[in-house]
Amino acid sequence: MFDHIQAFHRPRNIQEAVRLIHDGEGAGRFLAGGTDLAVQADRSVRFLVDISKLGLNYIRPSGSGWVIGATATMAELEKSPAIRALANGILAQAAALCGSVQNRNVATLGGNLMNASPAADTATPLLALDAVVTFADAQGQRTAALAGFFSGPHGTAAGGMLLLEVEVPQPPAGARVGWSFQKLGRTQSDISLVNAAVGLGLEPDHRVKWVRIALGAVAPTPMRAPNAEALLVGRKLEPAIIDEAAAEVAREVRPISDVRASADYRRQMSAVLVKRALRECARQTGYAL
Amino acid sequence: MNTIEIGVKINGESKRWRIAPGDLLLDVLRREGYYGVKRGCESGECGACTVLLDGKAINSCVMFAAQADGCELLTIEGLAQGDTLDPIQDAFLECGAVQCGYCTPGMILNAKAFLAQQPDPSEDEVRDMLAGNLCRCTGYLKPVEAVLAAAEACRQKAKDR
Repeated sequence: MFDHIQAFHRPRNIQEAVRLIHDGEGAGRFLAGGTDLAVQADRSVRFLVDISKLGLNYIRPSGSGWVIGATATMAELEKSPAIRALANGILAQAAALCGSVQNRNVATLGGNLMNASPAADTATPLLALDAVVTFADAQGQRTAALAGFFSGPHGTAAGGMLLLEVEVPQPPAGARVGWSFQKLGRTQSDISLVNAAVGLGLEPDHRVKWVRIALGAVAPTPMRAPNAEALLVGRKLEPAIIDEAAAEVAREVRPISDVRASADYRRQMSAVLVKRALRECARQTGYAL
Repeated sequence: MNTIEIGVKINGESKRWRIAPGDLLLDVLRREGYYGVKRGCESGECGACTVLLDGKAINSCVMFAAQADGCELLTIEGLAQGDTLDPIQDAFLECGAVQCGYCTPGMILNAKAFLAQQPDPSEDEVRDMLAGNLCRCTGYLKPVEAVLAAAEACRQKAKDR
């Protein structure tokens, strides 16, 4: 099945890895866990560059938050005490639902982002967390916001480049802050039909100080819902305003119909998941709606 | 066709295998006679091809053999100690958790890695783990019972020691 692959490289460092891909003029592919690559079986791939042994699987504090190496696995993320604590664990929860144990043991954060499925479970919380990605090619390194990184289904602004790490700025925390990740799938570890990640900061009088709403599997790329966010800021969080924001989300998403769900169902469920997430965030602040 | 050589330690034995760069681990294992590794969906969904790689359960159908270079592998053939079955194998027999048997090696190996990390699991945790192994005969009730029984047996054995 993979007789088109003529070489398997194990570079010793990042420079060698990016050089191999650069010199391959489009015929090479970076390989981390391989769970997507082995299934896609793209026959244009002539050689593989294994990046799983470059020491890029770290999870460590940075000056202003956390940095996660691109080859940290889903299993490592879901078990990491730091990631479980970060933003009430929304990224750890997403990683824990990213397929079966066997897949989570090898699938990597970098692979999930670079594969750029509109339904990538880790992309949604990372968008809500205003994550920043750093990648490299033969010319050097670049850093960019994750928002704007995805260009379409399975497309990124870093095609042919090596994703090195993802930085998560220290998110707002405290008694009046809530975070929630919601996923709807046929089973809980199946690919998302819709997923949502929400962060919410409330004033003492329950007015919305700030809010971040991200959704997956409902547009060509994982997305934020800026209109719904703008609608909520400054307003007192009440059932009517939550309904209004959810209706705005339903207008902002651009879902498709496929074998798993219709566009109409995904649109309606986007509103439902955002409502649930907002309520859960509020509950975490001790405000029961 | 270019070939490369990889070295693995499989079921306690060191081996060197000559492989094609694009060979999948599942294909190499079966070619080398480890028929307990089953070919199922070939897309990382069903878990029939589960083996342990450095103690972690993985689907060998979505891993290139070259990725296993330098690693330790365990297949179902290497689980029993001589004639003594692993407590998980015993529990699958005792509980009648085997029907056609095709999913069984994968379930047992996944459970092996799981119980090493979580010796006292809840039923929910066992079900979550076994979600990576599809059974098309009958269902999951007896495998879940078997994993819980094996956990109990292992804890008892550790206490008696």
